[in-house]
Amino acid sequence: MKPFMKLIMIAVVMLIWPTMAMADQEDITMLLDPAFTTHQRPAVPFVHDMHNEKAGIEDCSVCHHVYKDGTLVEDESSEDESCSSCHPAKPKGKELGLMRAYHQRCITCHTETKEGPLSCGQCHVKTKK
Amino acid sequence: MKTITGHISKRKIDDVGLQHGVDNLTPDRIQEVVQQVLKGETGARLQAYSEMCVRCGLCSEACHFYLSHDNDPSYSPVGKVKQTIWPLLKNNGRVSPEFVYQMAQVAYTECNLCKRCVQYCPFGIDTAYMMQIVRRICHKLGVTPQYLQDTAQSHAATMNQMWVKDDEWTDSLQWQEEEARDEIPDLRIPLDKEGADIFYSVIGPEPKFRTQLIYQAAVLMHVTGQNWTMPSTPGWDNSDMAMYSGDYEIMGRLKQKHFESAMDLRCKRIVMGECGHAFRSVYDVGNRWLGWKSYPIKVMHAIEFYWELLETGKLKVAKTFDKTVTLHDPCNIVRGRGLHEKAREVLRAFCPNFIEMTPNREHNYCCSAGGGVINCGPPFKKTRVSGNTVKADQLRNTGAEICVAPCHNCHGGLEDIIHDNKLDMKLMFLIDIIYECMEK
Amino acid sequence: MNAVYQFVVGPLAWVAWTIFLGGSLLRLGLMYRSVIKKDPVVFEYMSFKYGMRSILHWITPFGTVNWRKNPAMTVATFGFHILLFLAPIFLLGHVVLWDQAFGINLPALPETVADLMAVGVIAACCFFAGRRIMLPEVSFVTSAMDWVVLVIVALPFVTGVLAYHQILNYDLMLILHILAGELMLAAIPFTRLSHMLFGFFSRAYMGSEFGAVRHAKDW
Repeated sequence: MKPFMKLIMIAVVMLIWPTMAMADQEDITMLLDPAFTTHQRPAVPFVHDMHNEKAGIEDCSVCHHVYKDGTLVEDESSEDESCSSCHPAKPKGKELGLMRAYHQRCITCHTETKEGPLSCGQCHVKTKK
Repeated sequence: MKTITGHISKRKIDDVGLQHGVDNLTPDRIQEVVQQVLKGETGARLQAYSEMCVRCGLCSEACHFYLSHDNDPSYSPVGKVKQTIWPLLKNNGRVSPEFVYQMAQVAYTECNLCKRCVQYCPFGIDTAYMMQIVRRICHKLGVTPQYLQDTAQSHAATMNQMWVKDDEWTDSLQWQEEEARDEIPDLRIPLDKEGADIFYSVIGPEPKFRTQLIYQAAVLMHVTGQNWTMPSTPGWDNSDMAMYSGDYEIMGRLKQKHFESAMDLRCKRIVMGECGHAFRSVYDVGNRWLGWKSYPIKVMHAIEFYWELLETGKLKVAKTFDKTVTLHDPCNIVRGRGLHEKAREVLRAFCPNFIEMTPNREHNYCCSAGGGVINCGPPFKKTRVSGNTVKADQLRNTGAEICVAPCHNCHGGLEDIIHDNKLDMKLMFLIDIIYECMEK
Repeated sequence: MNAVYQFVVGPLAWVAWTIFLGGSLLRLGLMYRSVIKKDPVVFEYMSFKYGMRSILHWITPFGTVNWRKNPAMTVATFGFHILLFLAPIFLLGHVVLWDQAFGINLPALPETVADLMAVGVIAACCFFAGRRIMLPEVSFVTSAMDWVVLVIVALPFVTGVLAYHQILNYDLMLILHILAGELMLAAIPFTRLSHMLFGFFSRAYMGSEFGAVRHAKDW
């Protein structure tokens, strides 16, 4: 059953990828970063505007931050850049990789605010038929 | 092959010693003695062995009793532990006299302490050690097979295994000396010779009924020009059934006497005749009881001695022994001392038609007589003979005419197995062949 | 559910690891004392060379006569122990947790591989269970405790596979999985699983006796 699921997943990803790349933020329903070439886990459902409305996040730079020489640059944001431009999918040395960046960003915030999912499968939900 | 799961309670054998012993027991007395031994004489090893054994059963195939009883699990090493020491530990020693009878029967008559199973346990759990603890407890409870106890009694009273009186010992030596002088006129068996290179010791049965071995050893010593001696007083017997009955106090006295006899004569080393258990007691067990990590004076088994004589050219081959010959590796000098290659080198020097039995060397099957089992006497003869059909098959498969068994216990056990299974095979000691074929 | 989750991955995990590590040290310490006091013979004859010789033979698949005599058991035993150690440490989900809790950055196994490894552990447990039932020499010596230990070991993997595939209630399964893992850790020093602590020492001691005194192979 599992390999079949995987195949279906890959097919789905390949079909929606082009649309994803072109999509605007408000259309995002999945965190399916094109920088990930292989997917170990199902993509995380994430409706951008709904999430931020619910979480009361107005400042884009909470997530779309800018770091320079290891320190956060205040009042600057980076929503025009892709996450992977700073957080490569395959990090070298001490770089913060894409997966770890996502995990840290989401889980830290969810832990601090005691809101939102924490465990693996709560975000990486297997699609059911 | 259909496996039937037996239990020690279903195969009780009447023995006066065991029965008389348990008749005197109460659960209180049993518990007191068990705790005495467990708390006073055991520690980390027993605790670790019994706790971490994962009950995988991998030791089963190591045991000739298990294999010979169509894989009846109540004969497997771990099965024997289950029927003896685990209940003792679990109930803190509070068991019935009937249970003591059963555990004595298992530990004394269904385990030869050959330690083959140690080589089959991934953790190296020493089942023989646990069976020895059971025997120790049984000894302290006074529950020992009658014949074995009689032997231990003989050790205590006479310092030899077979109630040989002091004058009978020297008589036997003089008799053999006289016989040998017919063949070699100037041969002597030097008694109490101070400063001799070699202190030659044998087991009680040699002067009693295998005197030809003393004769042959004397010829070997004479021909190869050894400066050797034997003691005229107690201390000549290196055997030790007290070790197997669990009477370690007597074992200690025996070993001390044996070592001291050699040291009183200021001999350079002890050479022991072709016996396995005696070697175990002098080389590995009794010495430790006395507090020696190794031993106060060098100890050598006959096989190594023969090998040394061959190597140094003192022992020469006059003719070859042409019959087909196979070798039985005794546990106490092979698994216990690694003399298997030396035994083969000596044997091959004389016997061109040497056939290996399978398995061999460290993995050879036990004779089922050692560990004091044959000394438990007639009541348990069937236990050891029918408990070792796998040995009969192993011997039969070699097709050899002669089986060399360089150990007294093995000899006795194999003799019964050969007879019972009507095998066309003759048993010999290594010295029998050497004596027949050496240059004199 | 999040509060329960945070409790089992937080404080309870610390408790489990403390019992495991502290209990192991305690057991080793007490055993050491018992050897010194009651079984001095062990250290007296212990030899590094022969102890290692014996250990190396026995941790080599098919490296001993008995491993060769029981190929199925050998494959199951080695497979089981290797997977049992590797899968939990290098599983992606756990690697993320190592990172989250301690900033330790470990390489992760591909999920499919880890999934198969967990299934392998479960299969080995089934094999062991089958032996316990079907082989007379094993069933004869099997007691309730042997089953308890087998279940303790199998549970983290069974619940882990179910949680990973999000079969049944995911949140519940994940918490059961974590609890099962913690139970296993805590059980190691105090059950038959303590062979993890003492097995190498008993092997080394027997190897030393066979090597230095008996001059014979013990494999």
